[in-house]
Amino acid sequence: MNEITLKMREIARDLLERGEVQRVLGWEKGTFPYQSTPFFAETPADADKLIWDEYCLNNLAVYLLDFRYGEEKVALFVKGCDSRGVVRLIQDKQFPRERVYLIGIPCPGLKDAAAAAKLPAGAEVPLADKCRTCTHKNPVLYDVLVGPEEPPAKIEGDLFAGVKELEAMEPEERFEFWQSQYERCIRCYACRNVCPACNCRECIFDQTAKEWLSKEVNGANNQFFGMIRAFHVAGRCIDCGECERVCPMDIPIMKLNRKVIKDINELFGDYEAGTDLEKLPPLGLYSADDPEEFM
Amino acid sequence: MANHELAHAPGVNPLVPVAGKIIKIVQETPDVKTFHVTTENGKPFTPMPGQLGMLSLVPVGEAMFSVTSQGPDHLEFAIKKTGLLTDALHEAVEGQAVAVRGPYGNGFPIEMCKGKDLLFIGGGIGLAPVRSLINYCVQHREDFGHLQIVYGARSPADLCFKEDLFEYWPKVPNCRVDVTVDRGDENWTGPVGFVPAFLEQLNPSPENKIAITCGPPIMIKFVLQSLAKMNYSPEQIITTLEMRMKCGIGKCGRCNLGSCYVCLDGPVFTLAQLNVMPNEY
Amino acid sequence: MQTFKKEAIEQVLASWAKDAAVYVPVSRAGVKEFGPWSPKVEPDFTGNTRLSPKGLMFPQTETMYSYTVTEGGMGVVLEEIDHKPARRVIVGIRPCDVRSVQVMDEVFLTKGYEDKLYKEKRDNTLLVALGCLSPLPACFCESMGLNPMAAPGADAVMYDLGDSYGIIVQGEAGEALVAALGELVKDGGQVPAGEPCTLKVDAEGLTAKLQKMFEHPLWNKVNRKCLACGTCTYLCPTCHCFDIQGKNKGDEGYKFRCWDSCMYPEYTLMAGGHQPRPSKKERLRQRFLHKLQYMPERYHAWGCVGCGRCLAYCPAQVDITRFMQDVKEVAIDG
Repeated sequence: MNEITLKMREIARDLLERGEVQRVLGWEKGTFPYQSTPFFAETPADADKLIWDEYCLNNLAVYLLDFRYGEEKVALFVKGCDSRGVVRLIQDKQFPRERVYLIGIPCPGLKDAAAAAKLPAGAEVPLADKCRTCTHKNPVLYDVLVGPEEPPAKIEGDLFAGVKELEAMEPEERFEFWQSQYERCIRCYACRNVCPACNCRECIFDQTAKEWLSKEVNGANNQFFGMIRAFHVAGRCIDCGECERVCPMDIPIMKLNRKVIKDINELFGDYEAGTDLEKLPPLGLYSADDPEEFM
Repeated sequence: MANHELAHAPGVNPLVPVAGKIIKIVQETPDVKTFHVTTENGKPFTPMPGQLGMLSLVPVGEAMFSVTSQGPDHLEFAIKKTGLLTDALHEAVEGQAVAVRGPYGNGFPIEMCKGKDLLFIGGGIGLAPVRSLINYCVQHREDFGHLQIVYGARSPADLCFKEDLFEYWPKVPNCRVDVTVDRGDENWTGPVGFVPAFLEQLNPSPENKIAITCGPPIMIKFVLQSLAKMNYSPEQIITTLEMRMKCGIGKCGRCNLGSCYVCLDGPVFTLAQLNVMPNEY
Repeated sequence: MQTFKKEAIEQVLASWAKDAAVYVPVSRAGVKEFGPWSPKVEPDFTGNTRLSPKGLMFPQTETMYSYTVTEGGMGVVLEEIDHKPARRVIVGIRPCDVRSVQVMDEVFLTKGYEDKLYKEKRDNTLLVALGCLSPLPACFCESMGLNPMAAPGADAVMYDLGDSYGIIVQGEAGEALVAALGELVKDGGQVPAGEPCTLKVDAEGLTAKLQKMFEHPLWNKVNRKCLACGTCTYLCPTCHCFDIQGKNKGDEGYKFRCWDSCMYPEYTLMAGGHQPRPSKKERLRQRFLHKLQYMPERYHAWGCVGCGRCLAYCPAQVDITRFMQDVKEVAIDG
């Protein structure tokens, strides 16, 4: 039992015993050693199921949306990426700061559960893809922090290397790349549903009667879905990589999101979504010196 | 292959409709119209009372409706304006092309009703499915006992099938019609009040009776309470369910309710059957 | 049993490909699914496919009929779209997926209506299964009454014998398949011993218990972490719900059907706004009960074959075996 787990349980039990919050969102152990899974502690006794280990991959911020219309106060364990998701939800006015209690966990980077599932027990498991490019190992917003802070993230190589590869392609080549990726898409919407930036009350892709997007699953419709979603989260994507992690068809969705992040950085100056409650996304505010090349 | 009887000719795709035409449109109320539909080969199919038909307005879409009535060469669908497809249907004109497939579902249990007194309780457009059974009873008058029709709508303007209610059915031997409205107008001299309360006032005896009810969910909920108060047993009460449906042949899963598919095993159920099914309709 | 050398697999597949389209598990960008075989295609017989083979009989999107509106709306011409399915042999389908085809047969071919689009493909399809020597961590088919080394619904079953494959025919169609191999096969070999599933759950009495649990508070808990996406339903080999939609271009268009998911809010939403299953609690309950209660009641067969795809690929690790275990542990009166 690691110290952070013990501390987590203590904090959660205390919050629930005092009635400070109605539930505490964390992780419990899943069916397999390489699975840690979201868990909602609702009684002090539940707190003993909470754990912290190298497989607590799920970004819990998205679950705040399940409680957005209620009155109750929720406590949430947050890694760096989870905390950025919470900042975004607060900025988007999807969840009020005063209804969430944030317990920060400095995160050294987690392991790749999908890779672990294929490896023999005891083998070295690689770092999760989404953690290779992490820029915030420490939570950016919290009420209490569990454990010592991690040293600032050092990213090896260029965060946008994958984007630059795509930008270097000829348009036809690039089109073929995305076509071959999105031909696989089965439109399960896991990418959307796991995303804290996808917080529309009613998603256009669910308005099937209006047929913004046909339910016919083919390359063109799937690309339309991928592209519209990327634009909808433009400036709000926190780069947590959850969409790509959960895609059952292994579509490199973050390449698309990072392209948009890179474009925004170039157009409006460097911006990291969800790192500062006071700093609104460039597409979410008006500034007199916004570029307007199209005018 | 499994032992079963096919409800369609082998090799035919039961999901493909046949082309037809709207030959007549009757404005029942401000938001209900009855559409008479036929095909090149005459009546698309011959449903039993309570069965359903999939009506398609090409290219807008298709939806399942109960067949309100039928003539020798056509089917009638009474349709309320409630969404994309029904809005478009209400814009349709006589002569316009449609497509149709069916019949689907079990229909009313005629055998169970034979020899019994029947109490029909309808609200709003909910009279549409019940009307097919009333007309059947009228046509086979000697097979059934006393008929009583209790019907209500929001206002006098919203009463469906006025000709049936006020001209035709009251003249049927041993048949009584009671109509109420939620709110009257300057010309309305009949009863005012909600259907369940009106029903309790009338207090029809459950003796040798089957009650058949259809209407908005909230009306059905309170009608069932009223019937229970008047000592009707769940086996004596019949209702029809409305669920979203796509295929009509018990495959697509939309109308799955417990181990039943409403399009195939319903839409007509006794309350006794519904009581043991998940309450998800 | 007959056997053929592993290096002869290409010749074996080529023999079957003479008068049929042969489908094998193939990896595309790391994702394994069934794809058409040709001499250029390397079959990947390790593990199971991520996408189940259901799409071969029940494609995710499939056109049904075209329509043309004529005379300004006064006429309409409908034309069925003929798919003319070729004879097919699916090679390397696992026992769980063979079972799922049998379950789909019940759904699509019984209770008074035959689904033509399914039937014409199914009638032309032969299944050559591959026994599972070592089930994957998420496999629990044994708990659902299957034997990972047997596929009673297949036309033939293959076994990995090390440097060769053994093949046992089951029925006439299977015999013809092996006969077509001629000199490639020789008699001999025996069914090897397989390992049991490591994931186990007790399904005994589950349906009867669930019949009493529709309103049980357990449902408030199991749905919490579910994200209400469609991954489980789309990867599931027995999920068969579909939608029927149209694609219009002016006065012309076509109807198609496509997979749909009971996890989506739009699935039960009625014109006029009535929503019989308003939240993910009701939707997840529907999915689990459909597999574990409604299908056993209606078709006398589990709607779950224990392939483990849903629990391996759920974004939130919702695990149907854990749910089954939770149900086991619930104490209810009567």
